[in-house]
Amino acid sequence: MARLRVKFKKSSLIRYISHLDLMRLFQRALRRANVPVEYSQGYNPKPKFSFATALALGTTSDGEYMDIELIEKIKPEDFIENMNNVLPEGIKILRAYYTEEIKSLMAIIEWSSYLIELKLLNEVEKENILDFLNDFLDKDELLILKKKKKKGKFVTKEINIRKKINKIELMLLEDNKLILKTLLKTGSSGNLKPEDLIKSFKKEGLDINDEEYKIHRLELFREKDGKREVL
Amino acid sequence: MISQETLDKVLMNVEKPARYIGHEQNIYIKNKSNMKATFAFAFPDIYDVGMSHLGLHILYNLLNEQDDFYCERVFAPWVDMEKQMRDNNIPLYSLETKTPINEFDFVGFTLQYEMSYTNILNMLDLSNIPLESSNREEGDPFIIAGGPCAYNPEPLADIIDFFVIGEAEETILKVMNEYIKSKEEGVSRKAFLESIVNIPGIYIPSFYKITYNEDNTIREMIPLKDNYPRKIKKVIQEDLDETYFPNKMIVPYIETVHDRVILEIFRGCIRGCRFCQAGMIYRPVRERSVNHLLSLAKQLIKATGHEEISISSLSTSDYSQLETLVTSLIDEYKDQKIGLSLPSLRLDSFSLDMIKEIQKIRKTGLTFAPEAGSQRLRDVINKGINEEDLVKAVRDAFNMGWSTVKLYFMIGLPTETEKDLYGIKDLGYKVKEEFFSLPKEKMKGSLKITISASCFVPKAFTPFQWHPQNTIEEFRKKQEYLKDIIKDRKITYNTHDAKVSFLEAVFARGDRRVSKVLIEAFKNGAKFDGWRDQFKYDVWMKAFKKENVDPRFYANRERNYEEVLPWDFINIGVTKQFLIKENEKAKEGKLTPNCAVSCSGCGITRDFKGGIC
Ligand code: SF4
Repeated sequence: MARLRVKFKKSSLIRYISHLDLMRLFQRALRRANVPVEYSQGYNPKPKFSFATALALGTTSDGEYMDIELIEKIKPEDFIENMNNVLPEGIKILRAYYTEEIKSLMAIIEWSSYLIELKLLNEVEKENILDFLNDFLDKDELLILKKKKKKGKFVTKEINIRKKINKIELMLLEDNKLILKTLLKTGSSGNLKPEDLIKSFKKEGLDINDEEYKIHRLELFREKDGKREVL
Repeated sequence: MISQETLDKVLMNVEKPARYIGHEQNIYIKNKSNMKATFAFAFPDIYDVGMSHLGLHILYNLLNEQDDFYCERVFAPWVDMEKQMRDNNIPLYSLETKTPINEFDFVGFTLQYEMSYTNILNMLDLSNIPLESSNREEGDPFIIAGGPCAYNPEPLADIIDFFVIGEAEETILKVMNEYIKSKEEGVSRKAFLESIVNIPGIYIPSFYKITYNEDNTIREMIPLKDNYPRKIKKVIQEDLDETYFPNKMIVPYIETVHDRVILEIFRGCIRGCRFCQAGMIYRPVRERSVNHLLSLAKQLIKATGHEEISISSLSTSDYSQLETLVTSLIDEYKDQKIGLSLPSLRLDSFSLDMIKEIQKIRKTGLTFAPEAGSQRLRDVINKGINEEDLVKAVRDAFNMGWSTVKLYFMIGLPTETEKDLYGIKDLGYKVKEEFFSLPKEKMKGSLKITISASCFVPKAFTPFQWHPQNTIEEFRKKQEYLKDIIKDRKITYNTHDAKVSFLEAVFARGDRRVSKVLIEAFKNGAKFDGWRDQFKYDVWMKAFKKENVDPRFYANRERNYEEVLPWDFINIGVTKQFLIKENEKAKEGKLTPNCAVSCSGCGITRDFKGGIC
């Protein structure tokens, strides 16, 4: 028994497949690549693997992680090569290594960095964008409305997302195109979806199209002794 | 080509966008400029349904293995995507290279059920291709069709340029090669059609004129030229081991209806149920050998990584080597946790043992199809099962630990009386009693019986092709009667919408005069008629009225043996005399033995080789 930690990327059209589809895709790719993966017991045996987080439909990523349970160790290089041979274009294994860690990936990760591409509805000067971002981060309270399921019913709740935002940087401003880089809380200890950050931008007065945007995840981080580390 | 940017704009606004991206494992991407002919395989329903269809995988791979041809796929967009496409001026496009469908040389529709016909029109419309063949011009694709419903092609006569009747594998290749020649010679559409009119299995509806009698029945079908064939003989593959079968299949991203490796073990059926079209049109029975199947399974699993293999045929139990096949598959794949599913199994103690064996790996449901409630009516339809066998099989199943059973019936079968309907209830209750007469320790789980009763649709090329369908009103009364008498917490009773079955009956036995009704109904919003929430009965009734076509003429009228039927010009091998004989035997409740017991002389051997007979 061995736990293989795997980093992969999701690009191009693959962003249109759901998290559930991605699980199925890996089940089949693992079989095609002849990986000695462990199966769950019971009537519906499933290969044992788990993802760090679910990536929303429509989002691309260079930093997705999963743990795969193997019944015997194989060389990580072989794993990478065999899998990449059978994966569809748009999904690629970048890294693989064995880990002794017992905690689940979901419990380990803390932060996620994203690139967010937005469309401004009107031309805005660079200065004004920078001012907006400064003001935005200076606030103690950034409230957004969230729908939550409670006892089978949907209730809307106001939540403060400020603490879940670490930083926001302006990467590019070209005509109406705005690209930001941001670091947001991710994982079982707290989570902020970039879509919700965009909602908040809009609410706080940034003049953007909040329906058409692109989100790309760059990397996932854990926290050790107050410092962020790549997995 | 539709640009990625254009698609990005709409894909996030639709449910399951992966239906529209292509890009799956095992697709073909070819350089279009090197292709001599292009073919769009069009399935007139959504991706989830179409990708489950074995014929797609066969033809797709067959064509793409040829260097000069390129076959791409296209499905009916679901209503949300259709709206996005229309709002954003996106034409219907192929999944592989996102090429507009009207740029293909051929667009080939597969006709699996009548209620998908309006989707064909919608797909043509979304492609900016004229709906009627007579309006298509040089440069437009050829719209072709095949599949089981093509055995009565006439309802689509105004729409389809030509049909392929039978097993299309080789015919399509011949047509494509002929097309390349025609293209090089620069001949017209018409001249190309002339060049293929004598290829076996090809039917070009515009080459024929139909005359009618005063009572609206058909007088004659007249070929417009002497060299056009008077009879179209279906084409079949003689030897399945020599017949092309793909060694890979596209692996969908989203969950489809049958999301697994499909192994076709034989074609045809020995049973001869009198309501069943497949049982007649696919004769003779031709099997694939176990060795061939095992080797295909191996290649397919390797290429797809699927977690399940499904065996496909009309009546799985009739495969002569079933036990060997199933044991070998289980042995081969149990370590890889690959499950096996055996649909269309006749349930008896032998098959139950086998299912039990399979259950060790993956769980499947139990389904029985007695089709009719009484022994008398089961004899009428030649469904060779009797009640004792059925009850015994159910008892065995309960003993082995099952507690969920589905029972399938049809209502409106010829000669049906109230007694037969009562028999449906009776059988359901007997099944229930079997469960509760088990010793306590054997009763596992809680009993759940589902009784499904669909409305009988008489089909072309069956012994019942002359019968009137029950009217919607008659169906409704019968459904209510059953609902009244089946009152048990353990038994769920499901019905089908009689209105849908009524329309199905019109198009199953319609002639070419119903083409214009299809077009009219489509123009008024009919599409996805097989989907309960999309079906618009009123639109259909208006369309019949406007076009002055009486649907009851096709659905509810009894035909006599002398009448020229719209599909008479097709030779399926089984003779009309045989169908008449079977219909007469049905009236007397006489059984016809299955072909494994003795030959009843259906006529198939006269024109077709290759079967077990
Ligand atoms: S020829 Fe005889 S054995 Fe063959 S399909 Fe017809 S009835 Fe059956």
